[in-house]
Amino acid sequence: MAKVQVLNVAVLDNPSPFRNPFQFEITFECMEDLPEDLEWKIIYVGSAESEEYDQILDSVLVGPVPAGRHMFVFQADAPNTGLIPESDAVGVTVVLITCTYRSQEFIRIGYYVNNEYTDPELRENPPIKPDYTQLQRNILASNPRVTRFHINWEGSAERMEDSENVDPSSNSMLPPSCLPGKAPPIGILPDNSMDCL
Amino acid sequence: RLGKAPDWSTHRKPIFSVDIHPDGTKFATGGQGEDSGKVMIWNMAPVLREEDEKNEDVHKMLCQMDNHLACVNCVRWSNNGLYLASGGDDKLVMVWKRAAFIGPSTVFGSSSKLANVEQWRCVTILRNHTGDVMDVAWSPHDVWLASCSVDNTIVIWNARKFPEMVTCLRGHTGLVKGLTWDPVGKYVASQADDHSLKVWRTVDWQMEANITKPFNECGGTTHVLRLSWSPDGQYLVSAHAMNNSGPTAQIVERDGWKTNMDFVGHRKAVTVVKFNPKIFKKKQKNGSSNKPSCPYCCCAVGSKDRSLSVWLTSLKRPLVVIHDLFDKSIMDISWTLTGLGMLVCSMDGTVAYLDFSLDELGDPLSEEEKNSIHQNIYGKSMAITNTEAQLSTTIIENPEMLKYQQQRQTSTQTNSAPGTVGPESSAPKLNSVMNGESLEDIRKNLLKKQVETRTADGRRRITPLCIAQLDTGDFSPALFNSVPILPSGSSMSNQLTPHLSSDSSPGQPSSLGFRPSHDPMLTSPPANSLKALEDNNEGVKSTLLLTSASKIEPIKALDSRFTERSKATPGLTAAITSTAGLTALDSSTPAQKECKLKEDTSSDSEDKMASINKNLMYSKRKPELMIDGGEVVEKRKKGRPRKEKMTTSMVQSFTQVSMEPSVFLEVENEVTVVAGSKLSQLRCSKDGRDWNTLLPSSTLESVEDRMLSVFSSCGRRLLPAIQLATPVSALHCTAHFVMVVTAGATLSVWDVQKQKALVRNESLQSILSGTDTSVSQSLLTQQGVPVVGLSNGKSFCFSSSLETWSLIADKADSLVQCADFRGCLSSHDAPVSSGPLAVMQGRYLNAGRLASRLSSTPHHMQQSMTLAFLENQLASALTLQSGQEYRYWLLIYSRFLVNEGSEHRLRELCKELLGPVHTSATTSWEPTTVGFRKRELLREVLPVIGENLRFQRLFTEYQDQLELLRNK
Repeated sequence: MAKVQVLNVAVLDNPSPFRNPFQFEITFECMEDLPEDLEWKIIYVGSAESEEYDQILDSVLVGPVPAGRHMFVFQADAPNTGLIPESDAVGVTVVLITCTYRSQEFIRIGYYVNNEYTDPELRENPPIKPDYTQLQRNILASNPRVTRFHINWEGSAERMEDSENVDPSSNSMLPPSCLPGKAPPIGILPDNSMDCL
Repeated sequence: RLGKAPDWSTHRKPIFSVDIHPDGTKFATGGQGEDSGKVMIWNMAPVLREEDEKNEDVHKMLCQMDNHLACVNCVRWSNNGLYLASGGDDKLVMVWKRAAFIGPSTVFGSSSKLANVEQWRCVTILRNHTGDVMDVAWSPHDVWLASCSVDNTIVIWNARKFPEMVTCLRGHTGLVKGLTWDPVGKYVASQADDHSLKVWRTVDWQMEANITKPFNECGGTTHVLRLSWSPDGQYLVSAHAMNNSGPTAQIVERDGWKTNMDFVGHRKAVTVVKFNPKIFKKKQKNGSSNKPSCPYCCCAVGSKDRSLSVWLTSLKRPLVVIHDLFDKSIMDISWTLTGLGMLVCSMDGTVAYLDFSLDELGDPLSEEEKNSIHQNIYGKSMAITNTEAQLSTTIIENPEMLKYQQQRQTSTQTNSAPGTVGPESSAPKLNSVMNGESLEDIRKNLLKKQVETRTADGRRRITPLCIAQLDTGDFSPALFNSVPILPSGSSMSNQLTPHLSSDSSPGQPSSLGFRPSHDPMLTSPPANSLKALEDNNEGVKSTLLLTSASKIEPIKALDSRFTERSKATPGLTAAITSTAGLTALDSSTPAQKECKLKEDTSSDSEDKMASINKNLMYSKRKPELMIDGGEVVEKRKKGRPRKEKMTTSMVQSFTQVSMEPSVFLEVENEVTVVAGSKLSQLRCSKDGRDWNTLLPSSTLESVEDRMLSVFSSCGRRLLPAIQLATPVSALHCTAHFVMVVTAGATLSVWDVQKQKALVRNESLQSILSGTDTSVSQSLLTQQGVPVVGLSNGKSFCFSSSLETWSLIADKADSLVQCADFRGCLSSHDAPVSSGPLAVMQGRYLNAGRLASRLSSTPHHMQQSMTLAFLENQLASALTLQSGQEYRYWLLIYSRFLVNEGSEHRLRELCKELLGPVHTSATTSWEPTTVGFRKRELLREVLPVIGENLRFQRLFTEYQDQLELLRNK
């Protein structure tokens, strides 16, 4: 059960010129106080053909997150046009908002983005080299695609058993038991620590 | 009347499970969602009544939860209706509870834009199964929750203490696909793909019976094997069994687990059997001979052959068979609690409602009659007597009584918040204002206003704005500057999602489309005409995208990006690791400190002076440490620290009289040496007022010289030094009483005010019966009653009026552990944890700890154990003269008597509290007890009695007498 539920994402400043920053107002609800921050990312898909052209526009930590309903605005600069294949500049692509907790992604919100020239002339005869100053970005805000992943919300001590949705690479990168200071060295934590309470 | 309710409003996915809420107002379905499992809660009214169906203001869907990762195989309401349990292919069991004060909201990103009218939240996740969970079942009284899985196991969970696991039943060698409890909670039965049906005892969780014969022939598999136990407990009916190569539902008799009968007729395997919760008797027709008929049960059987049959155990042939109701296999059946309605769900994504009349089924027995059947067969009553159903027919004779009944009803309503679903419940009124600012204003400036900081490693960190706090007790306490989410929140969520609600396209099926047919129940209703609206929502996405035209292919490629998880970015994760490390270190520091404190405390208690309430001890730590560590030891270089410590803590217990936390005591021995005689100084400072006294050096050290001095809080000597026979081992002062336990095992108590001995050198020998027992704890109550706790767990108090020792607590007492009075605890009287009785019995009274495990012990045993325990408590509190505790236990006791229906005891109690109405010279009745006027107590007890209609005569009787006495 996800401790964090995204209730709404409002796309602000939309449609807007291509070079304007992305702005998403995110409302989410949390079931209980989170000891760690959430990490949000905006990923711009440069080309449908390959993940190679994905750009992480920005990532922020959000916290502290006590139990309750919260909102914040996530603003990120427009993608680096130099990294976008010219053939993919105009047309439909995707922007993704992801959220991770303890470096496990638990929600992915995708929007179709349509980049097109506002000038009918340009629309008819688009220049070979895209003119980003003339492009308008239109995020299809009404049709978010939300994918939720099951993650281990508890401390990393107990590892989630089903690895169905857990990216194996993130697992190998971060063996949870090796987190410094997380696993108490044997003998230091007194057995009677409960008595202190 | 047969109605067909549809599906998931947008597209048709299999529905695996259906269950009607005990109050009959809603039902839950479970099945496959878009990319997750789905649990949905629906309003029952539109299913039952056509006018509600047509009324657009009546919500059809109340809530949908897509938290399950994979298909939901089973949904079940708890018997009390407060919880919903769901189990799915994601190996999880989730338990849901309604969050009372949160307004409607949508599931973000879900294609249906319907708001959740009710909010159901997952309160606990039960993880243990290593395979798909196929069925879940609540035990009678919601003591346990059982779940079974394709991992071949059944797990029993403690439903009163989730996520505690009671046991895991192993023994099946195949996928376990169905569960059922017997109606008195003595057995749980399971059916599995291993061609067996097993019955397990709840006493020891061992296998009672293993039935294989009827299943030997079974080939092929069904998705579920939902078996069912008859409401009278006499029969267990299995799902898929075979008899002469025909599929059957096997009837297993409780008596000897005989398998002689079965329900025959289905063409394919039986997937689900569900007994009607009611027991019926033949309807008495006018004119027919009134010969008493045997009560019978009613059972519905659903099969893979898509047909449904309903049987009465009194008939040889099915009451009705309905073919071709669905396109695919029947998956689950649920009866209403009234026994007259039934929901059936199917793989084809539809749910059908069937409505029976009393003429068809017979007259349902009342709960009372059902109870008496259970009592006759099993010797224990099913339900506590004050069930609504049973009392609904009783006439309320007394207006006062009516008041209490109504109060009770409203309080239960607010507690369980069943909520009326319909137009009236959604009366939105926007007041989501925070600190005078509307949410709209906040949103306008959110970007500018939100707090953004940089972490040590330079990352952006945004502090989110808390716009509402969560309501339920299951969640963390309130936050500053936040507003609770109000029930009127519907408009708020509308506000939040303007673009979402605005774009619900006209192409969307107008809500749900329940389409009842009014054909009488026939064997073959025109199923196809009953189909729910086909959804035409598929096109939405593409139409909206039409403006962008051109690239259809890339969109397909892009689509996959929505669901694939991104590769984690290494740099960022590293940062998180380091912060995690830091916080862990931080949190370990206070823990260490606490341990240190703990050590100190324990070393002190060696002095045998740790007789003060542990709590006080803790709060006194600081001053005490100051005395010990600071001045005294420093000044007295050649002193004897150990003894001094004793003295200080001893005197400190004296200062409890003043109840001031900041009292400093200092003792200096051998301050002045005058002509060879040593003097000690005792200095006490309180709120800046100091006093000090010079004493002959040894007086305070009563250990050596056996002298006891008593001072007032200002330092006045109250009593001349008292000479004791043997050294003091424990000393207490409470109010104006002083208690001394000497090393010679005697106890004395003096009343300083009256300068009188209450207890004089009473020997402890009589209670220190054994050789090994010693005094571990002693205590003096505010009323001057001495209490002594022994190392063997028993506690005694000396009653000066009876002049005897009385046992008030025994930690080894098995009664304590078996008593189950939690149902009688009222929320508004907080447990008395500070009274002497509570202190001696341990702060966390373990009463009832075993109780939940004992539901298999006969009810009357448990009842008498609880009764005995509560009466012990009452008597002890009385002897201790602990008024508050007496009152507390009195209320619990009377509530228990009311619940259990012990009228004789209740009457005697009332009589005792009321006393004689007419005073005469000879009456010896005391109007007060332990500081309470008895009649006032009776006034408090009466509302409790008023809660059970059965006692309305008793209530009226005493109510009138109290009124009479008041007017006198």
